[in-house]
Amino acid sequence: MRILIWIKENLLGSKTDILITLISAYFIYFISSLFFNFVFTTDWTLIQVNRKILLVGLFPEEQLWRIWTVFSIFSILISATIGYLYKLKLKNSIFYITILSIPFFIFTTLNLLFNILIILFFSIISYTAFYYFKKNQKKIISRILLFSWIVFLPSLFFILVLFGGPKVTLWGGFFVNLILAVIAIIAGFPLGVFLALGRASSYNVIKLVSIVFIETFRGAPLIAWLFFAWFVLPNFLPNLFSLNDINLVIRAMIVLSLFSSAYIAEVIRGGLQSIPKGQKEAATALGLSSIKELIFIVLPQAIRVVIPAVVSTFIAIFKDTSLVFILGITDLLRVGRLIPEQQQEFYGKSIETLLVVALLFWVVSIVLSQVSRSIEERLNVSN
Amino acid sequence: MISSLFKQLKSETTTRKKIEVLKNDKSFRKFFIQFIFSIFMLFFLFYLISRAFSLELGFGHLSSRAGFGLSHSFIIEYTSNDSRWGAYFTGVINTIRVSLVGIFLATFLGVIMGLARLSKNFLISKISAGYVEFLRNTPLLVQIIFWQLVLLQLPQISNALTFGGVSVWSNRGILLPIISSVENGSLWVLILLISLIVTLFIRSYLHKYKEENVKIFSPNLLSIIFFLITVIVSYFILGIDLRSDVPTLEINEYGTYIQSGGFVLTPEFSAILFALVLYTGTFITEIVRGSIQSLPVGQTEAAQALGLSTYQRITLVILPQALRSIIPPLTNQYLNLTKNSSLSVAIAYPDVFMVSRTIMNNAGHALPMLFLILSTYLSLSLLISLIMNLLNRRVTRIGT
Repeated sequence: MRILIWIKENLLGSKTDILITLISAYFIYFISSLFFNFVFTTDWTLIQVNRKILLVGLFPEEQLWRIWTVFSIFSILISATIGYLYKLKLKNSIFYITILSIPFFIFTTLNLLFNILIILFFSIISYTAFYYFKKNQKKIISRILLFSWIVFLPSLFFILVLFGGPKVTLWGGFFVNLILAVIAIIAGFPLGVFLALGRASSYNVIKLVSIVFIETFRGAPLIAWLFFAWFVLPNFLPNLFSLNDINLVIRAMIVLSLFSSAYIAEVIRGGLQSIPKGQKEAATALGLSSIKELIFIVLPQAIRVVIPAVVSTFIAIFKDTSLVFILGITDLLRVGRLIPEQQQEFYGKSIETLLVVALLFWVVSIVLSQVSRSIEERLNVSN
Repeated sequence: MISSLFKQLKSETTTRKKIEVLKNDKSFRKFFIQFIFSIFMLFFLFYLISRAFSLELGFGHLSSRAGFGLSHSFIIEYTSNDSRWGAYFTGVINTIRVSLVGIFLATFLGVIMGLARLSKNFLISKISAGYVEFLRNTPLLVQIIFWQLVLLQLPQISNALTFGGVSVWSNRGILLPIISSVENGSLWVLILLISLIVTLFIRSYLHKYKEENVKIFSPNLLSIIFFLITVIVSYFILGIDLRSDVPTLEINEYGTYIQSGGFVLTPEFSAILFALVLYTGTFITEIVRGSIQSLPVGQTEAAQALGLSTYQRITLVILPQALRSIIPPLTNQYLNLTKNSSLSVAIAYPDVFMVSRTIMNNAGHALPMLFLILSTYLSLSLLISLIMNLLNRRVTRIGT
């Protein structure tokens, strides 16, 4: 009975409602039949055969342990941070598990299952450990966390490169997109904070330089800046340490970081403007120096307010890493385009690979946007 | 300020005390930090400029013959014998064309979907939610390539879909029937658009006069008469000869298929347009939804209590108020759309970026070309911001 009432209220309220319901039902039927027809009639062996190439490109098989190490350290750190920062709601965790299981089922073979389960096990342990210990020893735990982030982030890069690591030219697949995004975010965020502070500062020269930097980078599309990295940037780098013929991937990293810092700066500027004047006056009245005022009063509040918007910017940066396709870097999109062109048995199956490429990007972005949404809800509650 | 500082400095005798005075003076500290910073910046700038001189500079190469053809040209005709400037301006016009059409369609789609998202109807609200969640979270470049691949899946020209002879759909493009003129057709359409905008301005001014109790004949009728006059005058001056233009598909004596006539939507243009509209539409949907949700519920209830229909409620009460918070983020999306149109380089639609890229390949001069690209997009952005700011000023004035 309640179902009938619900249907009457939500689908068949008035004449126009009935019409809209009919049209939408047909539309849903049309799209889903198109989609499921395609998915169930296609031969997906091309994905199974090319699993490794899609994920890591031509990365040498015997060096894959580097990526596994980086991946496991990173996921353990992330889960520790989540455990420290907040409690996962049941509804959200079910959402994350459902979404993340999609690529898990597509890309995991029996050999890899063992590795993945170990990583999962340790991530859950670190999550629970940090979640329970933070109640008693918040100060020590927060210091451990901060310390491990500062130590591990550079070391992740060294694990990939140093001690006979494969050349950067061999990096490929989804791995390149992820690492480009991570580097651009990690380098872009502090730079963005500095630029935002510079733009809001009363020092006119610093303000001018920040504005010029931000507006030039925001003025042209990212692809123009990537071409800048391709053709012009080597000329502007100093000759020391053969810096002027570094790999295109590294150059793309530099430009992506600068580009994202300009966007992050604009987001953080919004946060700086939202802080009431009274806060600064109170800090001055307490006798804090201007640097202390910035670090302990202004910045924490400003960044807190804009965290959801910053995560949205991160998503945009992550999606934008697919543009390196145009430079000829073998990222996920390029691999997805090359497979049907170069492997004879899969000739012409471009749409199939493109859908899997889109799926991988979609999974990461949707998880991040859900994170941003739950942070936003928490902020709204605490305000 | 400065004179008192000097006085203080003179009164101190030892150097250490003088430094102490300078240290404690706020305005001096400010000046000093900025001075050091600008010296540092000047050195950096000097370094960059000295490096830039080792590159090819100057725009002289743009005056020589281009030597490459472009698949799309609009309003101004372009051949490979024209100069590179000609190619560049063709690219600019192609960018403006795809962005302008994209902005209109994306706004339309976004507003519809934003309203649908808030609809009480369960199905249509979920369609809108699904649309946003799927298309917003995949990269635009993937979507552009996807639409190109889909359009290339259309049948070959030899068995094109003709829909009873009114249009031709094949993997060479979609040809739609249209009413057109032999000569000056696109120029006339342009004049019509401009005179439409001018008419809208005239109408708003006449309305303002009417509000100030100046006796004036109906402003709406006057502006319609003005519009009709410009239409008819330009019709005769340009010698427009309107006729229906139905696309045809023929086989010539060598057995090749020739398609002609109609309004041509090439696969490249359609792919970039579809992708831009669908992608930007998701963001506009969220903007519209957020702005409407932030309105107090009382507005909807009051409109219902007044007995307004759903359509009247949305167009007269909800949207005009929501527009105030919609327009600033909407401007941002328009700028993004214009900049994102540069991704058409991936599917060879000759926009300004792709043309500049070709010139860079042929003639080098990467830095000046990048500078040209930067200034082109900057001026397009400024133009859009200017128009949207004017609109914003108008919208925020309503009801205040």
